[in-house]
Amino acid sequence: MSSRARVTARRRREVGLAYLLLAPTLLLLGGVLAYPLGWEVWTSFTSLSPRQEGGTAFVGLENYRRHLEDPQFWIAATVTVVHAVVTTVAKLALGLGFALLLARPFRGRALVFLAVFLPWAYPASVSVIGWYWTLSPPITTAYSVFMGTLKYAVDGALGTGAWAFLSVTLFNIWRGSSFIGVLLLAGINAVPPELFEYATLESKSAWQRFWVVTVPLLRPFLALGVFLSLTTGFADLANVWMLTAGRIVFPIIGTHAYWLAIKAGEFGSASALSLMLVPFLLAALLVLFRLFDPPEREAA
Amino acid sequence: MIARSRGARIRSNVFAYANLAPYVFFVLFPFYFMVVTSFKSNAELYNLKSIPFWIQSGAIMDHYALLFQKTDFVTWMKNSLLVATVATTASVIISILAGYSLARLRFRGAGSFGTAVFITYLVPQTLLFLPLSQVVAWLGLSDSILALMITYPTFLVPFCTWLLMGYFRTIPREVEECALVDGATRMQTLWKVVLPMAVPGIICAVLFSFTLCWNEFTYALTFISQSANKTAVVGVTSDLIRGDIYFWGSLMAGALLASIPIVVVYVLFLDYYVSGLTAGAVKG
Repeated sequence: MSSRARVTARRRREVGLAYLLLAPTLLLLGGVLAYPLGWEVWTSFTSLSPRQEGGTAFVGLENYRRHLEDPQFWIAATVTVVHAVVTTVAKLALGLGFALLLARPFRGRALVFLAVFLPWAYPASVSVIGWYWTLSPPITTAYSVFMGTLKYAVDGALGTGAWAFLSVTLFNIWRGSSFIGVLLLAGINAVPPELFEYATLESKSAWQRFWVVTVPLLRPFLALGVFLSLTTGFADLANVWMLTAGRIVFPIIGTHAYWLAIKAGEFGSASALSLMLVPFLLAALLVLFRLFDPPEREAA
Repeated sequence: MIARSRGARIRSNVFAYANLAPYVFFVLFPFYFMVVTSFKSNAELYNLKSIPFWIQSGAIMDHYALLFQKTDFVTWMKNSLLVATVATTASVIISILAGYSLARLRFRGAGSFGTAVFITYLVPQTLLFLPLSQVVAWLGLSDSILALMITYPTFLVPFCTWLLMGYFRTIPREVEECALVDGATRMQTLWKVVLPMAVPGIICAVLFSFTLCWNEFTYALTFISQSANKTAVVGVTSDLIRGDIYFWGSLMAGALLASIPIVVVYVLFLDYYVSGLTAGAVKG
């Protein structure tokens, strides 16, 4: 066998193996998720509703058109984008800060580490109750009078529901920055220390080192963090629901869709609404994938 | 190694503490408040004149007693533990295979496969539980914790795959090529060379998956109706909030106890995580 033929044979085996290793993932996602995803897409083109009389009609893009014409949609879209962007930036900044601080040894680090970890490790549906309890005290105590005053001041200045929205944002940052911090810490952990050492010798200032060395090395983890932060920011449902006790004044797309489906029974319209996010998220994903896996390396 | 003066080291420590202190307060305050509330008598809880941040009239265990005597709390914990363990183990194994394949094996469409796996993340979970509950019914798993073991990996696998893919890429290719040249197969290389080097990444994936499982709410709420099959997080919130009535004290007690396994898991891995970090940092 010529050496070229041997290489080809090895390549072929490798491709086979690649598919074999991916098979369980595809089986799982195909087997369990394919139908729900298809259902959601199909439903978005129909008038499906458990409350309607008569059959479900195929309405084409009608659901989408109606959302685009609805001012409520644009409000929700604006709030969603602002919410997702603000929380993502804050989470990245805080998370990166922790990761860098915790990457250096100092006394008591293990404890600080655990503290930083807690908000994410703690079940959101439970800690959100703690937050609700802290930010919008439901029973009257001396404390709740103070918080009530604060709430009315904020609502008065920014409009009704501003306090609720603020608490959702704060909660999201509280939880998310912890997650991103730990994720990035794992990333720093993965980088061979020699690289950092070399960088320390080569670079002029800490600031330069941060941008030229740390950020590029952490790129895959930053990309994953941003992506997850955006998807949760866009679709954050349970937390918004709980923190505002279902009285949603600043709707984000996720809560609006849930409301449409569960309270109003308009499955078709709700599916269309939640799918309208997909193009934006897809664009974000593609950009992040590019960052994660730059083309020049792929060519190797 | 660059020797740093004692002064510089102290300065950097002070800097770290000063930066972390406000955040640690921000992080811990809600927990502290929950602990205080869970030990407070109802009389004090609803007393307008009491101070909310500490206990004046003596700590009581009533709220905890109610949790153990009047609810299925122990069963919920067992369910959570079972679901989280099974789903995490399965997901991490599947993700190791997929992540390695996408990170290292060059084949046509590796990029599109990678994207395809993540597309599933793009469709907001908001409404997914509706058709997914149909799938669960077809599989004959309605109202069973098996339903959760099957559905959780659908969001764990994409996440772990991406995470591990990032990890596998940080391992120098040369190490693997040495093994391959020595006659090892790809699978042997993965098992004997790559996995040992990726242990921190795998631990990270296990931690994250376990946490995501333990904390999952929507599916656990919608697929399970019997109290005996509920998970801890859902059980606590659904059985201690009845309509508009909140059992605040027990709710906080349940919330605190339900999270203990997570904290234990983190503490167990903490040493590893931190020592791994120190091993790197001490050299620098």
